[in-house]
This record gives sequence, structure tokens and C-alpha cells, in this order.
Amino acid sequence: MSDINTDNIKSQMRKGVLEYCILSILDNHDAYASELISQLKEASMIVVEGTLYPLLTRQKNQGLLSYRWEESPQGPPRKYYSITAKGRALLAEMDGVWEELIQTIALLRKNSN
Amino acid sequence: MKKVINVGIGGRSFVIDEDAYQQLEKYLDKFRDKIGMGIQTKDVMEDLEQRIAELFSESLKSEQEVVNLSLVNKVISQLGMPDGSPVEEDFTSCVSGTPNSVVTKRLYRDPDSRVIGGVCSGLAYYLNVDVVLVRVLFCIAFMLGGVGFWGYIIFWIVTPLANTASKKCEMRGLPVTAENLRKFSIYK
Repeated sequence: MSDINTDNIKSQMRKGVLEYCILSILDNHDAYASELISQLKEASMIVVEGTLYPLLTRQKNQGLLSYRWEESPQGPPRKYYSITAKGRALLAEMDGVWEELIQTIALLRKNSN
Repeated sequence: MKKVINVGIGGRSFVIDEDAYQQLEKYLDKFRDKIGMGIQTKDVMEDLEQRIAELFSESLKSEQEVVNLSLVNKVISQLGMPDGSPVEEDFTSCVSGTPNSVVTKRLYRDPDSRVIGGVCSGLAYYLNVDVVLVRVLFCIAFMLGGVGFWGYIIFWIVTPLANTASKKCEMRGLPVTAENLRKFSIYK
């Protein structure tokens, strides 16, 4: 069953919640791109890193994130992303949607058994 | 002996092999084309370059060490494309095989020596004739009636602008080598 189609569905599902994941991580603490990447990779949310950069820029332009430059112990300054008030509001909304989804799926699974 | 190039990526400087440079340039071009976010593309590329610089620094033992093709390929496969698709195989194989074996020449508009839209200059490169001759012919066509004017407009619309170094090489029919790329690169 694990053919291209299944993989495609899986990756579509992950993609759908990726923005939610980014906001959740940044809600805990500010992070620069590499930190975000390593966390998302650990959670196997992303396979290739390239997907993240357009998302970050889009969220920043929507006013959900902001960033600042911070000195780093080695190398040039790093771009630290943090969540904005607007981002927090959206996150709270997403939390609701997430709960709803889980309940819906649980309900559907129960009915089908 | 191999030729190396000094490049600045994400605010750091690296010494990079010529073939590795070509590969990276090609990858960045492709990535840029795939983002499709208009004016925000610059921000995305900035983040990406920063990350590339970080990955390079992590892998190199000293500052004198040269970035080679295998490191570049490793980084590229880790980064992938903005839509999440892995980098196509033909992309890595066509460059790591024999670079610049096939030279293609394509019609572009030339942004560097344009009078109006760069159409004449691009055509001159494509047809391998003097640009003055093309311009004179177009001027005559302009004066003879609407055909010249509309012809020019159509060329302007359908011909892409040579806005990257590799496209400028293709426009001139030059092989896409690091040396040629550097000639037309904006980061001189």
C-alpha cells in the first residue's frame, strides 16, 4: 500500500499543518531558521528544508512573524524569528480547529467500527 | 590542479571549486524560479543563502578548506526545492557528468545593452549579426507601417529577459562555466 499515492497523501497532510507547527514552536521561544529546521526534522514534519523558507517569508509578510538580527558567537549575525500578537491570535484559532479535527476523526473512526 | 573561486554566501566568504560553483549557481537559479513569490523572493533567497553558508561552515574543518562538488551536492539534496520536491536526478547528474558539453543558444532579451526592451540586442546575439543592423532593420520596419511596431511588441512580450548569469550565457551561446557566469554575475 505504501506507493507514491500514499506518500503523496501523507506529505499533503504534513504540509497542511506545517504553518501551525511553525507558530507553535515560535510560541514557546524565538528561534532562527536552523533551529526551526532541526525541530521540524526531528518531528519528521519536513523532508527537505527548502519548503520552510517561502513559508517563513509569507508568514512574516502576513504579520504573523517578525524577525530581528542577533549577534552569534561564531559567524555573522543570525535572523531570529518571533511570533507577533496577530500570530498568537491565529495560533489560538488553529488550536480550536485542531481540537475539532481530532474529535471529528475520532467520531468517524468510532462509527466505522 | 583545479581552479577555485572566492564567493560570498550569506555574509561569509568561501573558497569553492569551479564545478561546485556552477552546480550551486544552477541550483539557486532553479530555486528562485520555483518560489514564484514575486518581490518577496529576495527575502527567501536571503534565508536560503544564510542556511547554505551555515551548512558549509559546519562541514569545513578550516577556513582554508575548499568547498567541493560533493559537499555542494550534499547540501542541495538536504535543502531540496521550495515546493518540497526533491531535486530531480537529471539536475545532479547532468552537471556532475560532463559540464559544458552541450552548448545551447536561446533567444532572450538583453537587459545590459537595451535601447527599448532589449529585443534587438537579443536577436542579434541569437542570429549572430551586428546589433546595429538589427536596429536599423527594425527602424525601417517601424517607418513602413504597423507591422514593424507590432512585431517588436510581440517579440518583447514573448521573449524572456536574460535576468540571470546563466541565461546571459545561453543568450550568447556560451557554455555555462563558472568563468562565464562570473562575467555576467551581479555579485562581481
